[in-house]
Amino acid sequence: MIRVAAVGDLHAGPDSAGSIRPRFEGIAERADALLLAGDLTRRGTAEEGRILADEMRDIGVPTVVVLGNHDHHSDEQDRVRGHLEDAGIAVLEGESTFVEVDGARLGIAGTKGFGGGFAGASASPFGEAEMKAFIGHTEMVAESLEAALRKIEAADARVALLHYAPIEATLSGERLEIYPFLGSYLLAEAIDGVGADVVFHGHAHRGTEKGATPGGIHVRNVAEHVIGHAYNVYVVGNGLDLER
Amino acid sequence: MGVKVNTADQPEYLIGHIQQALATDPRTGELELDVRLAGGRIFLTGAVATEERCRAVEEVVREVAPDHDVANELTVTVETEPGPEEALP
Repeated sequence: MIRVAAVGDLHAGPDSAGSIRPRFEGIAERADALLLAGDLTRRGTAEEGRILADEMRDIGVPTVVVLGNHDHHSDEQDRVRGHLEDAGIAVLEGESTFVEVDGARLGIAGTKGFGGGFAGASASPFGEAEMKAFIGHTEMVAESLEAALRKIEAADARVALLHYAPIEATLSGERLEIYPFLGSYLLAEAIDGVGADVVFHGHAHRGTEKGATPGGIHVRNVAEHVIGHAYNVYVVGNGLDLER
Repeated sequence: MGVKVNTADQPEYLIGHIQQALATDPRTGELELDVRLAGGRIFLTGAVATEERCRAVEEVVREVAPDHDVANELTVTVETEPGPEEALP
């Protein structure tokens, strides 16, 4: 088995120095990897990225993240990413990575994702250029997620890491009117088409932790406000015979 | 003829402007807070990570709506304990 710790929406700001690191104390005894499901910063400034990177450096387990909408707000997402990578954190955007756990390979494919809504109440790339650009971005990141998932097909356990939601069920508690800004069915379709053991996302602070894709893959909304803990631990690959 | 109103008196617009300000003001960057207007008073609910952010939210709201009372009912939440372990079959 592989123990995956996950949380989203940490929203680090200038006032976060010294306050984020304590939540991950002792994580190496509880988990084999830590995944952060976007909105790592409050306003997406390079400075916030540096503060978070300093807090997360050498916490004891491999750390893999995706960025969220907040991390794009100041148009400094590349510098945020740079600070995190300098601290040894893997940042995924339509990309994948592997974490070796006692001889087994945990594959993680990640993207920020985007909105658009869910089947029956979703937006289409029709009309104004702005509308086409909105859905075009979702289509692009969904395609990049699918390609990233294909690169981890041979892993012993597979995780899709998102910020935006792939299904409606884990949004339950949010206002229906904003669902199209919280996620897209295109993300779930990409995941179901390739397969995974579990999908993690954040973004929906008032949502619900547990759901599943139409294809039956576990989905967990790990936004901090939803799980109400520093992080939760999810065990995947129960049938694996690890060299512990 | 048509009807013309003082838009500043319409709660729906005021709440919209407050939410815009909370999202975009460099002091806050908060998109997930509840803003309601009842009895002429603005009620703020939801969770923020620090006392500093709690104060900044109230400050921004008071600037946008200087003629209204503000009930700051935000909670400051810092999660420090790990959650449960769940096996995913």
